[in-house]
Amino acid sequence: MAVESTQQLEQAPAERWRFTVDDFYRMGEVGILPPEARVELIDGEVIKMAPIGSHHNGSVASLDERLRELLGRRVSISIQGPLELERHWNPQPDVLILKRRDDYYRNANPTAADVLLLIEVADTTLPYDRDTKGPRYARAGVVEYWIADLTGARLLVHRDPRDGAYQDVQILTREDTAQLLMFPEIAIAVADILG
Amino acid sequence: MAAEPKPRPLLEHWKFTVDDLLRMDAAGLFDQDHRVELIDGELIRMHPITPAHAGHVMRLNNRVLGERVREQALLSVQNPIQLRPRGQPQPDVMVLRRRSDFYTTSHVTAADVMLLIEVADSSLAYDRETKGAIYAQAGIADYWIVNLVDSQIIVLRQPVDGSYTSVQTLVHGDVVQPLAFPDIVISVSEILA
Repeated sequence: MAVESTQQLEQAPAERWRFTVDDFYRMGEVGILPPEARVELIDGEVIKMAPIGSHHNGSVASLDERLRELLGRRVSISIQGPLELERHWNPQPDVLILKRRDDYYRNANPTAADVLLLIEVADTTLPYDRDTKGPRYARAGVVEYWIADLTGARLLVHRDPRDGAYQDVQILTREDTAQLLMFPEIAIAVADILG
Repeated sequence: MAAEPKPRPLLEHWKFTVDDLLRMDAAGLFDQDHRVELIDGELIRMHPITPAHAGHVMRLNNRVLGERVREQALLSVQNPIQLRPRGQPQPDVMVLRRRSDFYTTSHVTAADVMLLIEVADSSLAYDRETKGAIYAQAGIADYWIVNLVDSQIIVLRQPVDGSYTSVQTLVHGDVVQPLAFPDIVISVSEILA
């Protein structure tokens, strides 16, 4: 079983300043990061998110609908919402299946312990989603991480986060069916996810 | 397995401006001991200063330049220069045009600089490539890098389109004359000593 390699953030010859999650929100409040900025805080660095193409957007919308049909009100589903993982990291994954909470996480953003399944849809961002985000989701203890690789027409299923990596990585193709770790009775055709 | 998609630049950093830097400071983002530079829109944590680095800066300031140009110019050590919109580095030494207010009312800009010097122990590539590009872009006419690792002084001049077209590497035994003060002759050994 392949253990995915860890690719470090591009090393600048000099060390970049690392912002905290609090700094990140503060920069939003005071307008340093304008409301229209599409940015994530990754390892303390403010990173521009890739522009969302129609294929990516449609795939997320269709996943959202399919997961709601299958899971109903047993969970909360957050689309491109924040996830607080570490002091220096505040990503916005494409899809988060979260433990149901009555306040819909109004009072605090979800953390890794709330995540039942995290999905990133990758059209052009596969190396980033797999090599940069993957080890970090594993380190945070996200129990299951899927990458819908639209370009490669496959679904990468990551499980068993241990020692900063997912120990169990399955690559599923269009003919396969994916099961949710936390809801093993639910199966989704990979072809439905890839569209 | 399907072919990997063509990789995009993995991480594109958000670019901050000089004004953002001021607002961050006003918003209390930096702790009291912050040492950050804004280089091409990115915040860079400045290296801890080694005694060798500090000593060479002090020698430049107090002796090498201090004794020669103090009457004709101002010396500024590890203070910022504003290179709008996205740069605010803090060079080790700058020789500036005299101004009666000592630049208390506005930051130094490129037009004020007669000579800019960085002392490099661990940061040579960064000083040469990254900072070289932004200083050239800003039109800094005379940029020296005191390379402590190889005991050299790199003199970069004639900035054109964001790069220096004249690069001289000087060693012990050579002399260097600041572009703005051609009658002042400094031995490389005096700087590197």
